[in-house]
Amino acid sequence: MILALTALSAAGQQEQTLEGVVVRNRLYQPAGNLELSPSVGVSMLTYLTAHYTLNLGVAYNLFDTFAVEGRAGYAFSRQTGLARSISESFLNRDDKRITDELEDLWRMNLHGVVGLRWAPVYGKLSLMAEVPTHFQAYLWAGGGVGSFQRQSLIQCTNVVNRGLGVCDDRSDPLDRSTATENFWVKESRVAPVLSAAVGFRFFAFERHGVKFELRDWVFRDAFRVALSRDDWEAGRDTGTPAPSPGLTHLVQFDIGYTFLF
Amino acid sequence: MRTILSFAVLLSTVAGADPALAQSGPTVPAPGAETSIPPEVPPPVSPVARPQPAQHELGTAVPGEPPAAAPRVRAPQEEDAPVSETPASEEAPPPPSEAAAPAEPQPAADAPLAVADVDTELRTTTPEQQRLVHGAPLYNPNVSVHIVQKKRFADDGKHEFALYPLAMQVNGKFTNHAGSALHYTYHLQENFALQVSGLYNWHSNESRFNLELIDKVREQAQAASSLLLKWGAQAGVEVTPLYGKFAFYDDHLAQFSLILSGGAGFGGTRHLIRPEVANQVEGETFTVPARFGDTGTRFVGSVGGGLRVQFGDSYAVRLEVRDLVYTARVDRVDGCNLADFEMLEAARAGNEPFANLQLSGGCQFQKFDGVDPDTKKNYREDIILGRDLVAEPSSDVLNNVSFYAGFSILF
Repeated sequence: MILALTALSAAGQQEQTLEGVVVRNRLYQPAGNLELSPSVGVSMLTYLTAHYTLNLGVAYNLFDTFAVEGRAGYAFSRQTGLARSISESFLNRDDKRITDELEDLWRMNLHGVVGLRWAPVYGKLSLMAEVPTHFQAYLWAGGGVGSFQRQSLIQCTNVVNRGLGVCDDRSDPLDRSTATENFWVKESRVAPVLSAAVGFRFFAFERHGVKFELRDWVFRDAFRVALSRDDWEAGRDTGTPAPSPGLTHLVQFDIGYTFLF
Repeated sequence: MRTILSFAVLLSTVAGADPALAQSGPTVPAPGAETSIPPEVPPPVSPVARPQPAQHELGTAVPGEPPAAAPRVRAPQEEDAPVSETPASEEAPPPPSEAAAPAEPQPAADAPLAVADVDTELRTTTPEQQRLVHGAPLYNPNVSVHIVQKKRFADDGKHEFALYPLAMQVNGKFTNHAGSALHYTYHLQENFALQVSGLYNWHSNESRFNLELIDKVREQAQAASSLLLKWGAQAGVEVTPLYGKFAFYDDHLAQFSLILSGGAGFGGTRHLIRPEVANQVEGETFTVPARFGDTGTRFVGSVGGGLRVQFGDSYAVRLEVRDLVYTARVDRVDGCNLADFEMLEAARAGNEPFANLQLSGGCQFQKFDGVDPDTKKNYREDIILGRDLVAEPSSDVLNNVSFYAGFSILF
């Protein structure tokens, strides 16, 4: 690794001498410009929840390499099929009377963050003959708040059919979609959220760009432990908050469009 | 390539330049144009001498822009310069007087070459068709524009060893893998290479999520879905369809290639039989490490993509994502099938020796016999766990998507 770093440094110095002209070739210099960026995101990996986010970002480019950006949006979220399968089978499991809630079940909805974008890398590549594509690679970090909801996979306050794993008011026992209400314990909260991203944005024409980024939404988890089945099925509060619930990461792949004013 | 050089020779002849100049230099012509690079002007004495405009305009060539230019007005060299054999530069625009001077500068080896009869062209093309795009008459139907941009480092015929100290799974729902990989690549051509690769996962275990399901709700992934890859060896190809360059701030320049790869080979698999447990014997507690059972060698295929950032002639950093695809069917653990485990379990219950059992040929019953001298763990207790894995044979096709970070040496 030391050898490689040494080589990188030497090569960098050599490059500066041989072709320093490239650093003056920036066709797009966003400093001083405002930009608007709608984007959509999908979960990279789904465990018990899945998210699909719609965001709108407004950024001001302080320098060519630094921008401050505010992003706000809504995340459409759901529990995965694996989560539903777990909840239905656990309803009929009698060998686990005391248990803990599962982690990472909070789903994000409305959210807003403010952050800094650092784009030290500016480059060009050849996508098609004769037409160079300019791009920036960037890191993004910031924080804000979000609204969250959580639906338990374990605590059903009104077991309708234990054998079929039914905990809702469905009219057809075999068709979940006929239900209008379920009886799983639900919670909601507003909590701080941190966000970090790494991405590329490709410039096109004069004021348009497309960006691809990997974004992590991080917020504190919260769940209860040592829950008693007898208590939750009787509708009583049970268990205690987990002392160290950890952090939940929602890692998403975002595709966005950028208009530079 | 030959066409491009022919145009360069022709242009040099017309301009009175030395034809050898157009072919000189250690540059490597690219298969496609990377950018419209006009003839280079002599570099300034100081590379930091570029004046910064008060406000940058997007989509315009900032360096050398006249101060009086109004916003959103194209740079003079793009709008006013006639179609010529030495179009003005987007990247380092010379003063207008220099651009108009017929005798200078001498075209560089990687200059865009426009070959046309200017008089005829002016009569047959519209102003729009004469418009220069970044210094090149891209819309002129009477002009053939060929651009050779320097690709500083050639791959053709080179050998490349790439070491990836870290190859980490990024899609592990029920499994986690982390390992190291070594690739050897022979670049048959500039954009095509043969590759042999090896991977060893020094960490492969079931995910914390799977263990949480077991602990809290008595559920777990099917055996096939949580199959672990211990090692892999493949042969395949690698192509580099795109290349480009980037600057880190204004100080460092690097050239990169987009790489796509595919291959096939074999991999060794295993499955978790028992996670790490605490074993209490005569009032003393021993930590018994997790136990894995061999589940055989599988066919492995892979596809991947990433970036190779080259620094200097011989070094590169590689960042790749590879999807290792392998079939998973768990019907034997340590060579023992369900019938073997049934016999082993019966023998264990009767406290009988295993050596006399009529087991299948590959069953390594010794792994399920005896007591570990360090942890006092009786291996016979693991028979029922092994039996559970094969009791309901399961199959799956697993995608092990991993991020590879490493560096390579070319020679």
